[in-house]
Amino acid sequence: MLEKTMLIKMNQQAYGTTKFQILTGDQIQQIYFAALDVLEISGARTFHKEALELFSNSDAVVSDTNRVRIPTAMVEQALGSCPSKSNLTGRNGKRSIKLQKNEVSFGSGADARFVYDRTSGERRKSTFADVEAAAKIVDYLPRLDFCMSHGLVSDAPNAKTYDRHQFLAMVKNCTKPLVVTSVDADGLKDQWEMACLIQGGEKEFRLSPLFATYIRSDSPLMGNSDTVAKLLFATEKGIPAIFTPCSVLGITAPASIAGVLVQNLADALFTVVLCCLKKPGMPLLLGGIQTVMSQAKETLSYGSPELHLTSAAMTEIYKWLGLLSSSAGGCTDAKVVDEQAASESVMSIYNNLMAGTNLVHQVGCLDGGLTGSLSSLVMCDEIIGMIKQIGKGIQVSDETLALDILKEVGPGGEFLSHDHTYDHWKEWFRPTIIDRSNFEAWSDAGSKTYNDRLEPEVDRILESHTPQPLDENIVQEMKKIINLADKKEV
Amino acid sequence: MSTRTNQTVNQTARFSILSQDQKQRIFEGMIATLRNTGVHLHHEQARELLKKHGALVDGVSVKIPQNLVLDALATVPPVTVIQSWDGTRKTLIEKNQVLFGPGPTPPNFTDPHTLERRKYVKADAAMVARICQALPNIGFVQSLGTISDVTVSLADVYEFAEMVQNTTKPILSWSYTRDTCSDIHRIAMAMAGGEDAFKQCPNYVFYGEPISPLLSDFHAMDKAMYCAEHGIPQVYTPCCIGGGTVPATHAGQLVCALSESMLGVVVAQLINPGTCVIMGGVQSIMDMQYSVYAYGAPELSLLSAGLTEMARYVGLPMFSTAGCTDTKILDPQGAIEAATSVHSAMLSGANFIHDVGYFESGMTGSVLQLVMADEQIGMSHVVAKGIEINEETLAVEEICNAGPGGNYADTGHTKKFAASHWQPTLMDRRSYEDWAGQGRKTMKDRVIEKTRDIIANFVGPISKVPADTKKQIADILQAAEVREAKKAETGNK
Repeated sequence: MLEKTMLIKMNQQAYGTTKFQILTGDQIQQIYFAALDVLEISGARTFHKEALELFSNSDAVVSDTNRVRIPTAMVEQALGSCPSKSNLTGRNGKRSIKLQKNEVSFGSGADARFVYDRTSGERRKSTFADVEAAAKIVDYLPRLDFCMSHGLVSDAPNAKTYDRHQFLAMVKNCTKPLVVTSVDADGLKDQWEMACLIQGGEKEFRLSPLFATYIRSDSPLMGNSDTVAKLLFATEKGIPAIFTPCSVLGITAPASIAGVLVQNLADALFTVVLCCLKKPGMPLLLGGIQTVMSQAKETLSYGSPELHLTSAAMTEIYKWLGLLSSSAGGCTDAKVVDEQAASESVMSIYNNLMAGTNLVHQVGCLDGGLTGSLSSLVMCDEIIGMIKQIGKGIQVSDETLALDILKEVGPGGEFLSHDHTYDHWKEWFRPTIIDRSNFEAWSDAGSKTYNDRLEPEVDRILESHTPQPLDENIVQEMKKIINLADKKEV
Repeated sequence: MSTRTNQTVNQTARFSILSQDQKQRIFEGMIATLRNTGVHLHHEQARELLKKHGALVDGVSVKIPQNLVLDALATVPPVTVIQSWDGTRKTLIEKNQVLFGPGPTPPNFTDPHTLERRKYVKADAAMVARICQALPNIGFVQSLGTISDVTVSLADVYEFAEMVQNTTKPILSWSYTRDTCSDIHRIAMAMAGGEDAFKQCPNYVFYGEPISPLLSDFHAMDKAMYCAEHGIPQVYTPCCIGGGTVPATHAGQLVCALSESMLGVVVAQLINPGTCVIMGGVQSIMDMQYSVYAYGAPELSLLSAGLTEMARYVGLPMFSTAGCTDTKILDPQGAIEAATSVHSAMLSGANFIHDVGYFESGMTGSVLQLVMADEQIGMSHVVAKGIEINEETLAVEEICNAGPGGNYADTGHTKKFAASHWQPTLMDRRSYEDWAGQGRKTMKDRVIEKTRDIIANFVGPISKVPADTKKQIADILQAAEVREAKKAETGNK
C-alpha cells in the first residue's frame, strides 16, 4: 500500500454556475449614459397630479406640456435608495423567492383574455375557474415559484373589479407567492388589504410581501395616470412592484436593439426617481417587454429572438445598476402547444435563467400572450428543469474527476456497476413527460407523442392535487372587501 | 467632441462553464490518465510508433508520457481551410468558428413522405445532402443514415459518392476500413480535380471513432493513420456514456473524452506534424430508467459545452453535438431537446456541431427534425451574436426627437435597422383568426411542408459535376466492388 502525501491545491477559483454575458460593463455604461441623456434632454411626460407636484418640488424641470426632465444627480441619488434585496413570501409562510442579484424565479402569466380549452381545442374567454385551475397547477409544479394571473376573469360580476376576484382565485388555490395585476390603484389597495389579512398586517406585509404588483406601461416615457397611481400606492405601502415598459421595435421604440434598451432604461429610471420622490426605499423590479411585430403588423411577438436577447440584456443592465429585474419567458406566438411553443419557450427560459432575471413571468402563454394554456405550464416546468441543469455547470473536484476510479476500471471497462456511478447518477436531470424509451417499448406503449403524454399529466394534477386550504375566516373577510368593491363600482 | 477610451466590448454573447483553474485540473487529469492508466491500442504499427517516441507499451496497453502529448499539441494547426469542389465555398476550422450539421450512420430513417420509420437507402444520401445544401443554417453535411441497399461493406463509399455531388458544403465522411477510407479519398480527389489540388486544399473531413473508455480498435486507428498520412482533416472522437463507459461525474467524463481524442492527436501528429485533428464527440449520460444513451438530456448540452472549452484550452477544434432528441417522432419533445442543445452548442462556440436531425437516441435520422432545427439555429444566432452598441444604434437623437410616447414607424433609422430583424420561416406570428382561418397548422405541419418543398423543388449542384469526374467516381466504385467481392470470396473460403 502506497502512502499518499497530503496534497493541498491552492489559489483555485471555480465557476459555481454556468456563466453567461451579453454585454460588458463598458457597454452597459454606454447604454446607461445614453438613457441619462434622454432623461436630461427629452425627458418623460406624465399628467398625474401628484407626480407632477413631486417633480416640481424637486430639481427636475417640468415644462408647460408636463414634460419632466431629470438631472443625472437626481437619478443617481434615487438609484442609491433602492434596496438591493427583497423577497416574496407565500401564504404558506415560506420566503420562497429571494429578490436579490442572480436569483431566478419562474411563474405563470399573465391576464390572458382567452384560455385554450383542452376539451374543444378552441380558445374561449378566461373565467374564474380557469384562473383557479392555473393557480392549482402552479401550486403543484415544483419549478414554478410564483403564480401570476393566468387569465382575466370574464365572469366576474363587475368588469371594473374583476381583479379582486382574480386575486381570490389565485390565493385560494396557490400557497406560493403571487404576482398580481390591478385594474387601478383602488384595485391594488383592495388586493393589498386582502394580502395583509393573510400575512398578519401592514408591517408584516412590508417584511414578507405576499405578492408583487405588475404594472405595465404601453406607451414609452409616458407616465400614464393609472400606472403612476398604482406605483405611488405601492411605494407608500412597500409593495414590490414590477414596472414593465412595453415597446415595439421600430414602432414605439427605435428599431435598433441598443436603442430600445436605452429607451426602456430611461423609462425605468424615470420610474425609479418618481418612486424615490414619493418615498425612498421602494422594492422596485424593473422589467420590459421589447419585441417586434409580425410582418402584417397585427400581432406583438412573444417568441421572437429579439425579445429573448433584449430581455437578457435588460437584466444585465439592471444587475449592473444594482436593481432587481423581471422579464417575460416561457411564452410563445404558437396557438397550440406544438414544436413552435416548445422552441420559443426553451429560448426565453434559457436566456432569462442564464442572464439571472429575478422574476420570469408569462410562463404558459400562447398566441403572443392572448391565450393561457395549462398544458404549456406543465411543459415549461420540465423545460425549466432542463435549463436549470445546464445552469448548474460542472463541478471539478477529486471526487468528480474520478481519476482513481478510471484507473481501477481501466480501458474497455464499464462503470454501470461501480459504486461511484450509483453515488452520482441521481444528480442528473430526470424527465417526467419527456420519453427516452426505445422505439419498440414506445410503440408497444401506443406510440404516444409528447402531447399525448402531456394532457393526461395535466388531468392528473388537476384531479389529484389539493392545495393547502386558506383559512375560511380569512376567505370570508376577503369576500367582504370584494363585495364592497363590486357594489361600489357599479 | 469628446472621445471615448478604455472600452472592452462583447462582440458576441459569452458563455462559459469552466474557470481557468477548473480547465487546468481537467487537463492535468487527462495527462495523468494517459500516463498512469494508459489506453488499449489494437494496432501494432501505431504502438511501435508510440514506443519509439517514449510511450510505455505492454501488450496492447500504451502509457503515454506528457511530453508526447505536449509535443503533439504544439504542432496542431491553428487554422485549416476546407474548400468546396466547385471552388465557391471556403470553410474555416478555427477557434470559435461555429457550424451545424447532421450526424452519420443511424440504421433507420423517417420517410419524409409516409412519416414512417424505414431502412435508409442510397437515394436518401443524395436527398439529405440536397436538403443540407438548401438550409441556410446548416454548415456541413453528414448522411443521417447507413445505406442498406448496396454492397454492405461499401455503404460508406456509396454514401460519400452520392452526397458529394449534391452539396458544396463540407462533408464529414466515415468509413468501415482503410480500404473504403481510401476509396472516399479518391472520390474526393477526383472532385477536387486531382491529388495536388486536394493537397492544396482538402474538400472534406473524415470522421473516425475510438471506443470508450480509453480503447482504440484496429480500424479506428488504421483510418486515423491513413488520414494523417494523406493530410485529410479528421475528427477522432469517442461517444462517452456517463455512468456506462465513463464515470457518472461530468469532470471525470471530460477527462476520459479528452484522453481518448488525445491518442488520435498524438499518433496523427507523429505521422504528419501539422495535420488537422478535431476532438470532441457525443457526450451524454446513460438514462438509468430506460438504459438508453440519452441524446436529449440537458447533460449532453452541459458536457458538450464543457468539452468545447477544453478543446479551446488545448488549442484543438471541437466536434460537438446538438439538435438531436430521444423522441421517436416529430413532436414538442424533439423541439425542446433540440432547442436546448442547439443554443448551448451555439453559445459554446464549437466548430462542427453534429447530430442535428437525430431521433430516438441516434437510432433514426430525420430530415424533419433537421429542417426544424435549422429554424432554431437561426433564432439562437440572434441571441448569440449579441448587441452592437454605438452612437447610431443607441439612437439618443432619435429618441429625443420622437419624445415621450413618440412614433418611430417609417423613419430612416427604423428602415435601416428593422431590416436586420430576424424573419421566421416556420414560426407562426399571425393572429389567431388568420391562423384558424388558414388551416390551423401546427409547426409540425409547416415543417413537413417545407421539407417536401425542398425535396421537390431544390436543385443541388449535381449538374456542375463534370462528366469525366462522374466517370472516375463510377470507376472507383466499380473497383471497390471487385475488391470487396474478392474479399468476400477469400473470407468464404
